[in-house]
Amino acid sequence: MQPPIIPADENMRLQALICTGLLDTAAEPRFDRLTSLVQQCLATDIVLISLVDKNRQWFKSRQGLQACETGRDISFCGHAILGRDIFEISDASLDPRFADNPLVISAPFIRFYAGVPLHYNSQCIGTLCIIDPKPRQLTEAERQILRNFADVIEQEIADRFQEQSHQQLAASELMYRSVSEGTRIGTWQWNVQTGETVFNERWAEIVGYSLAELAPVDINTWLGLAHPDDLPGSGRLLEQHFAGQLAFYDCKCRMKHKNGHWVWVHDRGRVVSWTEDNKPLMMYGTHADITEQKHAELELKASRDQFQTLVANIPGITYRCKADKDWTMLYMSGSIDPLSGYPASDFIYNEVRSYASVIHPDDSERLDLAVGQAIKDNQSWLLQYRIIHKCGAIRWVEERGRAEYNEQGEVNFLDGFILDITEEKTLKQQLLKLTSQLPGVVYQYQQWPDGRACFPYASNNLQKIYGALPEQVKDDATFIFSKIHPDDLAGLANSIELSAANLSLWQHQYRVCLDNKKPTWVSGRATPERMPDGSTLWHGYIEDITTSKQHYLELERLNKEYKLSQQRLEMASETALIGFWQASLVTGELWWSPVIYQIFGFDENTTPSVALFKSTLHPDDKDLVTASEQRALETGLHDVVHRIIRPDGAIRWVHELARLLPVDENPDQILVGSVQDVTERMQLQQMKDAFVSTVSHELRTPLTAIKGALALLNSGKLDQVPEKLKKLMQVAGSNSDRLAQLINDLLDVDLLLAKCRLISSHCL
Amino acid sequence: MALERVMHVEDDESIRTVAEIALTDVAGFTLLSCDSGQSALAQAEAFAPQLILLDVMMPQMDGLQTLAALRQLPSLKTTPVVFMTAKIQQSERQRYLDVGAIGIIEKPFEPMELGDTLSKLYQQHITS
Repeated sequence: MQPPIIPADENMRLQALICTGLLDTAAEPRFDRLTSLVQQCLATDIVLISLVDKNRQWFKSRQGLQACETGRDISFCGHAILGRDIFEISDASLDPRFADNPLVISAPFIRFYAGVPLHYNSQCIGTLCIIDPKPRQLTEAERQILRNFADVIEQEIADRFQEQSHQQLAASELMYRSVSEGTRIGTWQWNVQTGETVFNERWAEIVGYSLAELAPVDINTWLGLAHPDDLPGSGRLLEQHFAGQLAFYDCKCRMKHKNGHWVWVHDRGRVVSWTEDNKPLMMYGTHADITEQKHAELELKASRDQFQTLVANIPGITYRCKADKDWTMLYMSGSIDPLSGYPASDFIYNEVRSYASVIHPDDSERLDLAVGQAIKDNQSWLLQYRIIHKCGAIRWVEERGRAEYNEQGEVNFLDGFILDITEEKTLKQQLLKLTSQLPGVVYQYQQWPDGRACFPYASNNLQKIYGALPEQVKDDATFIFSKIHPDDLAGLANSIELSAANLSLWQHQYRVCLDNKKPTWVSGRATPERMPDGSTLWHGYIEDITTSKQHYLELERLNKEYKLSQQRLEMASETALIGFWQASLVTGELWWSPVIYQIFGFDENTTPSVALFKSTLHPDDKDLVTASEQRALETGLHDVVHRIIRPDGAIRWVHELARLLPVDENPDQILVGSVQDVTERMQLQQMKDAFVSTVSHELRTPLTAIKGALALLNSGKLDQVPEKLKKLMQVAGSNSDRLAQLINDLLDVDLLLAKCRLISSHCL
Repeated sequence: MALERVMHVEDDESIRTVAEIALTDVAGFTLLSCDSGQSALAQAEAFAPQLILLDVMMPQMDGLQTLAALRQLPSLKTTPVVFMTAKIQQSERQRYLDVGAIGIIEKPFEPMELGDTLSKLYQQHITS
């Protein structure tokens, strides 16, 4: 047996066959009627329309045969399609090509076969064939009949294809219409070469028109409605599509709506046919109204921009990072730049450096542990740590963050916020330093209406004053109140209540008793503030005033004593007639104590002046006083006793004493002095001096004579004196010496007393 | 030039006597002894003393007044004066030196040494 050979144009042939759409379709009367006619006209057992597929022959119509297909390799038609005319076998059993063919040696026991090739689109797709189990030879007339039937069948196949195409087109047209209606898509067809265009109603409706309003339409209709700014881009995309660089023309552009606003349109299309010289011919496309989508997109962009702006403007840094050793950043806001000295882009995917690399080495372990724990507990973290700026400076930051988990509970990433708290930290440290410098305690005291109280903040000196650590009383102030002196507790509580009720400044002094120690006096001062929960918060300062309290008490005592001695002095100065004065050599100001008026006999309303004082000077003592004043400029001491003449003419003796302090100790050149009325003393002195003078004169004068006479006698220069007389004269001489010595001693004592007076008056 | 002519003014007669013996017999001076300032004033120019020994405390005209009056006399303007007084205070002594005294002799004086003392004072005065 010889299987049919495969023709050279087999692929084209098969394509044409498939194109007919006949394979594996139901039997159709139009073919069956014809095969039946062939059967009758040519008086044959079997008539087939056999379509030769790749590996089989399939029978579109068959008369006298049950099978609907057989293998191509055993087919007679496979041979028949190779030629242009009838392929006829008179007796297959005698033909070496078919003698052992299963269709020959078994049913249907073919002996005679004649097949006419059938064509579609110039390709041979099968045959119209007749078969008989008896050998036979066709006449030329019979051959022509068979050819004619074959032509009719070819025509049927072509007609059938046309009909079916029309039906499909109608169906697809319907579908296309319903789709375009349903999706509200505008459509366009454009003859690129002529500019002719066809739009659907929806195309016009998108821009607010009816097609009738736009008529007549051509490509200029589109060009006139498109946004001028979008045309160049659209043109470029079109050129790229024409050049084959883009499979589709796809462009989003604006069109002017009839009402004047712009409508965003998604314009898509493709060239569907080309001219013979490969220029685009027909192009089909769609318009979709994407205004809302575009607005949503713009809104999204706007809100994204807003987010970016917001992020850029918030004082801190927002980030999203992986939970790895480097804290690999996925997002980081730009504010990291001023904080670290590096741009955010450095940290994204550790492009230049990792965030971990700028964290202070002393803090990184603590940070890792705390964040690790927070991730494990599904808690947020709040941490303070240091960052090393590019310039080497240390910056303090506070970070608040939290992990984001997926459905399996694995960490997706960490989100957080970093705030630069360097200034706060510095201020806090400065404040701490300052408070540590203060002798007292700086504190906050909070008290609730139900009586609860605590010290939310207290500087370390709390321990010095109350013997308690700040942490001890952070939540409960009871300890502090247990240290208040029992006698002062009620007054203290009262003062606090009053301050809380009126929100007035609290000021109080009370005693604190620490174990085994003397009570200390403390003074507190605080400003209250009402909190939202009804409690009152005081900000204040308490200091130990024990020493100053003691000083104060001492001062009070001294003040009393001073007043007393002042009174005594006044009494004494009045009694002793000592007046005081004070003068500034720079300003000329002069002040007199009341006694001075009394001494000088001035009216009490007299204004003190140096000139007035000088006018009272006794003329004989003026030089004396001037000399003392001159001496005072050198020695700083003015000390003179002189006479004054009072307005009533009385002469009085006064003792002036004044001291001028050196200029560097006394820039105003203040001269302080006293004036004492010594008239009585001077009078007594004069009386005594006169007495002493008289006594010495009156006693010495005779003694001088006696002594002189005896001395002359005893000298022996005069006449000779008898021995006995000489002895007596010597006795008289030695006794007169003794008498002279006695008088001298008497006068010496007086001199001594006078000197003592002088010394003591200097000491004053 | 040695001291020879001395005028002594003293109101007390006993002292005048003792001084007269001391200055003439013992010292060998030519002496004019006056019992008051007035008497001294009357005889001083005629006597023309080289030195005046003047008692301080005298009735009517004391030593200072007498000296002031003597200084009015042309020939006695510069005649050195030695005061004789009962034991005096330092301030008083200064007062006598201030008015031109070349020395002060305290009472009671030593009559055997009076002449020598005056001679020494006089020599100091004229050589200074």
